[in-house]
Amino acid sequence: MIEVRHLTRRFEGTLALDDVSFEVHPGEIVALLGPNGAGKTTASRIIGGILAPSEGDVLVDGISVRKDANAVRARCGFVTDQPSLYERMPLRAYLAFFARLYDVAQPDIRAAELAKLLGLDDVLGRKLATFSRGMRQKVAIARALVHDPPVLLLDEPATALDPEMSQMLRGFIVSLRARHRAILLTTHDLDEAQRIADRLVVLYKGKVLRTGATADIRAAGRPSYTVTFAGDPAIARDALARAGIDTESASARDGLTALRFAADDPAVVNPAALRALLDAGLRVVTLAAEERSLEDAYLSILAEARR
Amino acid sequence: MKWWLIAWREIRWEVFLDRASLLRTGVFVVIPLFFVVSNRGIPAGAAGDATLIGLALQSVFFPALSGVALIAATFSAEKENGTLVPLLAAPIRDFDIVLGKLVGMVVPVMVACTVTLAAGYGLAAYRYGLPRVAHALSPELLYAVLVLSLLYLVTTGSVTMIVAARVKTSRAAQQIAGLVIALSAVLFAGLGFFASQLGEGWPLLGLGVGLVLADVIALEVARRVWQREEVIGRV
Repeated sequence: MIEVRHLTRRFEGTLALDDVSFEVHPGEIVALLGPNGAGKTTASRIIGGILAPSEGDVLVDGISVRKDANAVRARCGFVTDQPSLYERMPLRAYLAFFARLYDVAQPDIRAAELAKLLGLDDVLGRKLATFSRGMRQKVAIARALVHDPPVLLLDEPATALDPEMSQMLRGFIVSLRARHRAILLTTHDLDEAQRIADRLVVLYKGKVLRTGATADIRAAGRPSYTVTFAGDPAIARDALARAGIDTESASARDGLTALRFAADDPAVVNPAALRALLDAGLRVVTLAAEERSLEDAYLSILAEARR
Repeated sequence: MKWWLIAWREIRWEVFLDRASLLRTGVFVVIPLFFVVSNRGIPAGAAGDATLIGLALQSVFFPALSGVALIAATFSAEKENGTLVPLLAAPIRDFDIVLGKLVGMVVPVMVACTVTLAAGYGLAAYRYGLPRVAHALSPELLYAVLVLSLLYLVTTGSVTMIVAARVKTSRAAQQIAGLVIALSAVLFAGLGFFASQLGEGWPLLGLGVGLVLADVIALEVARRVWQREEVIGRV
C-alpha cells in the first residue's frame, strides 16, 4: 500500500532524508521511530503528498507521489501532533468543510457519522475553541478519516493526551488496522509502538538504521538473564566474576537479591553462573531470561549508531 | 471550484466572526464618511468636481486598506496555528488555496468598499445636492472607482501574501502589512490627486491599466513564492 523507494529530501542544503526505503502493507501498523530531527515528520509529509521528494519516490496504492500528488493526498488521512483546528467553526461545519474538500458525496451526513464514531455526536454544534485537548485530537482524527482513506499517517497522535485518551486512541488505531488500513505511526512513545506496531522502522539522521518486526527488534542483541538468590551479594558478585561473568544489580523482592548478567551463549554461561553461586554456598531461587523492552532495544540501536 | 469552498469558509467563519477585523474595517469605513460630513463646502466648477472625485476615491480606498491587514492576518495565522497543514494534505492545488484565501478576503472588503461609496454618495447628495454630486460622479466613474479599488486590493493582497509566506509570525506580517498600508495610502493620495487634475477618465483608465499589470505581476510572484515547499518549511 505504501512503498517508500530510495527517498531523499534536502532542505536548503540540509539532508533530512537519505535514501530511505520501507513498506507498509494493508492491515499493518508500522511505527516510524527516531530521535528529534531524524526525519520522521518529513518522511510522513512526503508520503502524504504534502512535500515533494528531492530524489526517490513514494507509491501509495500504486500511485507515484511525484506524478500525481493530488491523487496520493486523496488516499491518505493525515493526523499531526497538534490538532490545528479552525477554532471559530463548529464541529459539524468543520468536518463537512473537509468532507467537501475531499469530494465526499454527503458531507453533512459524513460529519455526523464520524462524530458519532468518535463519541462527539453531542457536541456537533459546538465551536471547536471550546473543546478539550482530547476532544480536539479526536476531531483531528475524524478529519483524517473524513474520506475513509486506505492509508493513515499518524504523526505523534497521542502527544499531550491523558492515559485514558491514549488508550482509547490506541484501541481506535488497532480497530482501523482490523479494517485493513495501512497505518504509519510516527511516534516517540516506545510503549505505544511496542503495544500496537507490527513492524518498526528506526530512523537516525535521515537514514534507516533498522527495520523489522517489533518482536524481532526487541529480541535482537545480547540476551540478558537475572539470577535471584538468598545471601550476600558481594560474595555472589565475587563468585560470578571468578567465573568470568560481569554483573549488575537488579530489583528483587521478599528479601532476596538479584543480579543481572549478559550471556552471548546461555547454554554455557548460565550453568557456569549457577555452579559458581552454588559453590559459594548461596541458595539460588530463580534464573530467568529478561524480557527486553523496546526501549532497551531502541536505545542500544541508537547507541550503536552513535558509536 | 474548491477555491470557492476555501473562500466561503474564510468569509463565513473567519471574517464575520473576527471582531478585531470587523472593528478595523468599521473604522476604515467611517473615516471617509467623516471626511464627506466634515468638508466645509464644494466649490463650483472643476475644482468642486475634483473634490467630489477625491472623496469618492477615499470612500473605496480606505476600506480597501483594511483588506490588506486582513489578508496578512489570515495567511500568517494559518501558518502560526498549523491549520495550513491539513489544508495542504487535502487534494487541492496550491493555486486553489491561494485564490480561495484571496477571494475570501477580497469579497467582504469589496462589499465594505461598495457600501462606503454608496453611503458617501448619499451623504454628499444630502449635503451638496443630488444634481451637483451626480454631475461630478457619473455611474461610469463610480464603476471605474470600484474596479480600481478591486485591482488595488488584489495587487496589495498579492504583495501581502508574498510577505506572509516569507515571515514566521502574525506579528511580523501585520507590521509589514502596516507598512504596505502606509505606503499605498500615500501613493493613492497622490494618484487620486493626479487623476482628478487630468479629468476626462483617461487618467483613471491609465491607472487601471497600470494596476492590472501590477496585478498580473504580483499574482504570478505570489504563486511562485507561495509554494507548499516554502510554507511547510516555515510551519
